[in-house]
Amino acid sequence: MHILAKANLIEAIERLVKEFKVLVPMQYDGVSRFSVWGSHGMQAFNASNTLLPPKDSLFPRTETLYAYQVANQEITGVTVRDQAEHQIIFGIRPCDMQSIHCLDDVFLTKGYADSYYHSKREKLLTVCIGCTKSEPTCFCESMGINPAGHSGADIQMNDLGSGYRVVAQSQSGQEIVEKWKDLLSQGQEEVVAASCTLKVDMNGVPEMLATLFEHSLWQEVSRKCIGCGTCTYLCPTCHCFDMDIQNQGNQGTRFRCWDSCMFSDYSRMAGGHDPRPSKSERLRNRFLHKLQFFSERYGKSLCVGCGRCLIKCPVHVDITLLIDQVRKEAAHV
Amino acid sequence: MSDNCYANELVPAIAKVFKIVDETPDIKTFFVSLPDGTKPFTPQPGQLGMVSLLHIGEAMFSVTAQGETHLEFAIKKCGLLTDALHEIKPGQMIGVRGPYGNGFPIERCLGKDLLFIGGGIGLAPVRSLITYCLGQRDDFGTLDIIYGARSIADLCFKEDLFSNWPRHERTKVHVTVDQGDPDCSCHIGFVPAFLEKINPDPQDKMVILCGPPIMIKFCLEVLTKIGYQDEQIITTLEMRMKCGIGKCGRCNIGSKFVCLDGPVFSMADLKNLPGEF
Repeated sequence: MHILAKANLIEAIERLVKEFKVLVPMQYDGVSRFSVWGSHGMQAFNASNTLLPPKDSLFPRTETLYAYQVANQEITGVTVRDQAEHQIIFGIRPCDMQSIHCLDDVFLTKGYADSYYHSKREKLLTVCIGCTKSEPTCFCESMGINPAGHSGADIQMNDLGSGYRVVAQSQSGQEIVEKWKDLLSQGQEEVVAASCTLKVDMNGVPEMLATLFEHSLWQEVSRKCIGCGTCTYLCPTCHCFDMDIQNQGNQGTRFRCWDSCMFSDYSRMAGGHDPRPSKSERLRNRFLHKLQFFSERYGKSLCVGCGRCLIKCPVHVDITLLIDQVRKEAAHV
Repeated sequence: MSDNCYANELVPAIAKVFKIVDETPDIKTFFVSLPDGTKPFTPQPGQLGMVSLLHIGEAMFSVTAQGETHLEFAIKKCGLLTDALHEIKPGQMIGVRGPYGNGFPIERCLGKDLLFIGGGIGLAPVRSLITYCLGQRDDFGTLDIIYGARSIADLCFKEDLFSNWPRHERTKVHVTVDQGDPDCSCHIGFVPAFLEKINPDPQDKMVILCGPPIMIKFCLEVLTKIGYQDEQIITTLEMRMKCGIGKCGRCNIGSKFVCLDGPVFSMADLKNLPGEF
């Protein structure tokens, strides 16, 4: 098997920067995220997953869709902005790799491919690093994800201590590995993968949730929710967006930006009607989307067990405790 | 439609509003063509179109009618974009993209008697199917149209209601208003009570129902009482939408998206979904 010595990691990445925008896990000002190689901060290859998910490389926080010029009754020009560059997410963890598969389902299937997402996705390469340690908030294994790696990545790497095992899993991955030929050595070493200490039992949960739509647990859980939307912004799979405009004189741009189903005006219609008028309906919709609706629609969970919402929810709404509670309540229905 | 009038699914085609009809004090119908005089797209009855004033906003509307070269949107003034739309004059360029959604299940209506029930602006989507059925008159049984609005002035599409539609064979239009001069030619009363009074026979019939939520709720009670099954009742929903292509998230009812899987649902479909609409 190919082994990339850790001493060669920087050189391996440097060989990619000419062709790709290389995003690596970086820690800066207390926040870890995927940043462009060479930007300010500390590399965080050894940490577990980043606080901010890598979804913005495919689905930016704000993204201009098109620009327009308007004069009196006329529209004098509409210019589409859709630029994608070749990117590599280097060091993505298996949970986040799975989240990209979820986003692919949303943005690329069911009759419409979102061209802004599609153009970026086509030019994206992923280098997944398997996890050797799990955080107390990690529960990817319970969501059917293997902490050792993800078959959807172009290259799978595993930390062996002094180096990384390197396995190309796609044609594009193979091409990258070719570039590293002289940096790689051969060897046989056992891959050690993390095991999550936090566990939930997802077996039958979507079906259980279908029986608990009107249950009082949603009122209970939502009582402490402050509707801040942190869970949705940190979630690697949350994909809801708003579309709005910015005008400057006669011209303007239409953009989309991350939105949150936890916000009160998210589904409120002109005229005031809102199908989800209070926190309990909104929180219920979010959890059901993660655990029931998405699996009904796309056949997979929309929660990847990354644990970010557990870490950062200011009032400790905990999806793992909710799943436990769902099991308990479903037994009583 | 020329497929290339869009750069991509989220970018509208630029079209011209060439005629505006005042239907009621707060509803106008906008006639829209592309600048070259062609139709932006050809929707099925009940499908949707996204309409925008580029510098104001964008929202989803049902396409109420279409001709060879144009689309018609009947739009009620009730928010940021619709307030602005009500201020525009013929000649205004707007954005339009579509068609979206499933449309009415015409194959399920073929050969059946049809009962259309509309309230207020709820007649706008239903009208696209009524017009279709009148154009293919032999494919359908009797057509009964029950329509109500707050007052005589609030009745939409008066020419259709009182002149065009009743002229067709086996077609009856029943109009009611919530309030009115006792001497007025219309029935006075709410739609559900009017429906109960007309008491249409459920045999071999499909019902197409659209209106304010409260009207739908009470009409459903009446229809059930008369003996209609959930499979016979079809409605069309509205929800806040941004993308129209099932990505932006907000128009979900359970695992369905109104923009893709709707807006048309049967009552049987809706009973299997959470009641969040």
